[in-house]
Amino acid sequence: MEPVVQFDNVNKSYGKHVAVDNLNLSIEPGKFVTLLGPSGCGKSTSLRMLGGFETPTSGRIMLSGKDVTRVPPNKRNVNIVFQDYALFPHMSVAKNIAFGLELKGFDNQRIHRRVSELLELVQLQDYATRLPAELSGGQRQRVALMRALAPDPDVLLLDEPLSALDAKLRQQMQIELKAIQEKTGKTFMFVTHDQEEALTMSDTIVVMNKGRIEQMGDPNTLYGRPGSVFVANFIGETNLLRSTVISSEGDVAALNWNGITITANPGGLTPRHGEHLYVVLRPEAIHCSAAEPVSGNRVKGKIRQRVFKGNHTSLMVEVGGGALLNTLVHPSDVAQLGGEDIWLGWKPETTTVIPDRHAHN
Amino acid sequence: MRNTVSDGPRTTLTAFYWAFILYLLLPLTLMMAMSFKDANFVAFPIGDWTLDWYAKVMQDKQFLEACLYSIMIAAASTLAATTLGTWIAMLIVADGIRGRTIIFALACLPAVVPGMISAISLRIFISTIDMPTGTAAIILGHTVHAVPFVVVMALTRLRSMPRNLVDAARDLGADGVVAFFRVTLPYLGPALLGGMIFCVLLSIDDFVRTFFLGGYRPTLPMLIFAKVQGGMSPEINAMATIVLVVTAAVGLYAEFITRRARTR
Amino acid sequence: MVNSNTIAGDAAGRGASIPKYSTGIARIVNSAIYRHTLGAAVESRIGRVILLAGVPLIWLVMLHIGPIYQMLKISLLSHYPVQPGVESHFTLDNYAIFFRESLYFTPLIKSFIFATAATAATLVVVYPVAYYVAKIVKPEGRSKALLLLLVPFWAGELIRTFSVIMLLANRGAVNVLLREIGLIDRPIPMLYTSFSLGFGLVYLICLYMLLPLYSAIEKIPGQYLDAAADLGAGPFTRFRRIILPLSKDGIVSGCSLVFLTCIGVFATPMLLGGPNTVMFPETISGFFHGASDKWPVGAAFALIMLVTALIAAGIFMRLVGGKKGSAI
Repeated sequence: MEPVVQFDNVNKSYGKHVAVDNLNLSIEPGKFVTLLGPSGCGKSTSLRMLGGFETPTSGRIMLSGKDVTRVPPNKRNVNIVFQDYALFPHMSVAKNIAFGLELKGFDNQRIHRRVSELLELVQLQDYATRLPAELSGGQRQRVALMRALAPDPDVLLLDEPLSALDAKLRQQMQIELKAIQEKTGKTFMFVTHDQEEALTMSDTIVVMNKGRIEQMGDPNTLYGRPGSVFVANFIGETNLLRSTVISSEGDVAALNWNGITITANPGGLTPRHGEHLYVVLRPEAIHCSAAEPVSGNRVKGKIRQRVFKGNHTSLMVEVGGGALLNTLVHPSDVAQLGGEDIWLGWKPETTTVIPDRHAHN
Repeated sequence: MRNTVSDGPRTTLTAFYWAFILYLLLPLTLMMAMSFKDANFVAFPIGDWTLDWYAKVMQDKQFLEACLYSIMIAAASTLAATTLGTWIAMLIVADGIRGRTIIFALACLPAVVPGMISAISLRIFISTIDMPTGTAAIILGHTVHAVPFVVVMALTRLRSMPRNLVDAARDLGADGVVAFFRVTLPYLGPALLGGMIFCVLLSIDDFVRTFFLGGYRPTLPMLIFAKVQGGMSPEINAMATIVLVVTAAVGLYAEFITRRARTR
Repeated sequence: MVNSNTIAGDAAGRGASIPKYSTGIARIVNSAIYRHTLGAAVESRIGRVILLAGVPLIWLVMLHIGPIYQMLKISLLSHYPVQPGVESHFTLDNYAIFFRESLYFTPLIKSFIFATAATAATLVVVYPVAYYVAKIVKPEGRSKALLLLLVPFWAGELIRTFSVIMLLANRGAVNVLLREIGLIDRPIPMLYTSFSLGFGLVYLICLYMLLPLYSAIEKIPGQYLDAAADLGAGPFTRFRRIILPLSKDGIVSGCSLVFLTCIGVFATPMLLGGPNTVMFPETISGFFHGASDKWPVGAAFALIMLVTALIAAGIFMRLVGGKKGSAI
């Protein structure tokens, strides 16, 4: 399928500061794509370039097959939901949503139909005549979304739109946003620094760091098979085991981690003896028990810290050589562990191996 | 605070405040009272009261003409000053403008120059560009005087405007002009209305610029000035009272508008 | 696409009154006349800059600097307006006249003394009032207390000056009252003296002092005073050590504003002053309304006044030590 958005070698720098560094990205229509990264990683700049508010220093941006690199925002068929909504304070909800339609030259009847339709979609029919100041945060969010959807853009851009909401409302809006995206079939390009948001809603996540794409893929892949230390650290909690290769043959590599021999699947890598690797071990992949596990990797440790987190208890376990492993157990299972001295075990196939050179990023 | 300012100073200050109010209001009250005096000279006590002076003023063609003339000048200069002031403010807040501070200082210049000097320099200016004294010159002078106030008021409001409102309008298909008229201007609205009323009052009150730039047609202050110099009569009091009541009502309304805008 | 099959019909059924949308905008924006003028201008970078900066810059240069520049130019000419048959040449004479004749020198000194005295008097009188409104009146009553102070200022310069006459004239309120209670037999001549002029000036300008003072004092957090009181500072110490220094910005702006206004006041001295109170603006005015060939002298004098006034205000700001440029 032809990509709806395409960034070709796009660069953007402000003086000496490089905000976006040779970005290549193409997005298929109908997808919920999230640009994820810490602040200053270039995700918002990329979004603003696509919206037309910034011009790339070099490179080309294509929208539905047309080069829009230098087209002003009012002439390109994308719409943004701004971080603080940017609803026009002097216009009613209906007029806000109608703004883009009026400029498209629709007649009154048609605008009215479209506005009603959109208000219905988010159950705000009764609020059409209200001013934005008279709405709650969640309602404003919905109006902003509908205003941006009204002119039927090729891509809807969302610039951290949930960051102003409180935690509970945010979760609710994540689900609603995803539902609206599925219902409308629109391409959504969502920018956030919140990995949980990204994992919840996205079809594709683009992890960005220092103006570059670090890794791109669906949430499962990114979580389960992070391609770099940065991604492993940024998405979810993780234990990074820096190990030395002892031997490697096919799917099995024997590694030395802190004097303990562990095995892992090197994936596509062909590590050589003495080379350094990172093993990504997610806390939930570790199984804690009082007795020594019969198979898989195992290590003896001492519980140093317990943090009760409601649906699970997080344990910090000290294993040999002062290294700490972060793991989690069901609260009711804590008692069965017996004492402070426990065994930790994990299956080699639950881990991912990352070459060391990526760690220097 | 309630505890720290003890009762002694508190009472003194309260008394002082009311004494000051009395000081402010007494002369104006006396002036208004005198307009009802049934005699053709100005002196206390008032003695007999009458409304005759008002009747006389309302039939005074010169007064009515001066009123209309003043209102016409105020309307024209306010319109010009509001347009220019807003435009200058837009320039000052625009992205990537160099010399922002210099432009702002320049915009405020006429407010710092004492009125008398401003009037003289304008008188010289219009003569160097061969503009005759009279209506157009007065309007120009009043506009110059009012622009800084509009700039400051518009700037204050513009700076409180979320900057992505205009971005949002552009994003939805508005070009710069449409975004200005549909989003920025309505956002400025209340502040500008307050500013406009202030301009009207400035213009109607202005004496010194009109004195230097005016022709033979008197504005309200010119008329009152001429009459005061010509000799006191309760008729002047009646005239001044009418002007005072109207301008105070307008001023009060402006205060109301700007206050409502601020709380929005 | 929003799936609209069920929704649209529903909305149409309910929508008895359809709201009015601004459909005209698109018609204007898409019209040929717009597209070829404004529309084309905002498309290009240069067009945008011209549209944004053109009129403002022309206005600022022409009418905010222009008049002062022309005044400067003419003050250096021997004759203006130039009569036929007379040659106008560059000269510094117009400035020299000022220093030669005490007739001109004295009014300026007098203007300065008057303006300074009026500024000081206004500060002393208005400060307690501003303090009262900003700190003692409860927040919900503040705007009303302030409004009451603003009322007289909608009356305008001339009417306020005129109303002072009612108070101070020989048969004005004060004299009549004093005579009624038997304190005097003959009226005290108060009008057309320095006293009436000073009284009128303070009356005229106290608002310019009030507003800056009020906003400066209002910003002082109440906790500072509480803290000072807690540490044992009495009312006077609190005022001297906390309120006064923290309201310095307001004092500086208020005083500069009042001073500059006082210097340039024109009608008030003409109505309230007497032969002994001829102020500099009146002197200058004489060059313009008398024989017209004195314009260059008038321009030179006006510039002398402007420069000395600005220098005086500048020195004051520097001395009292407010931030640079915080005045207006």
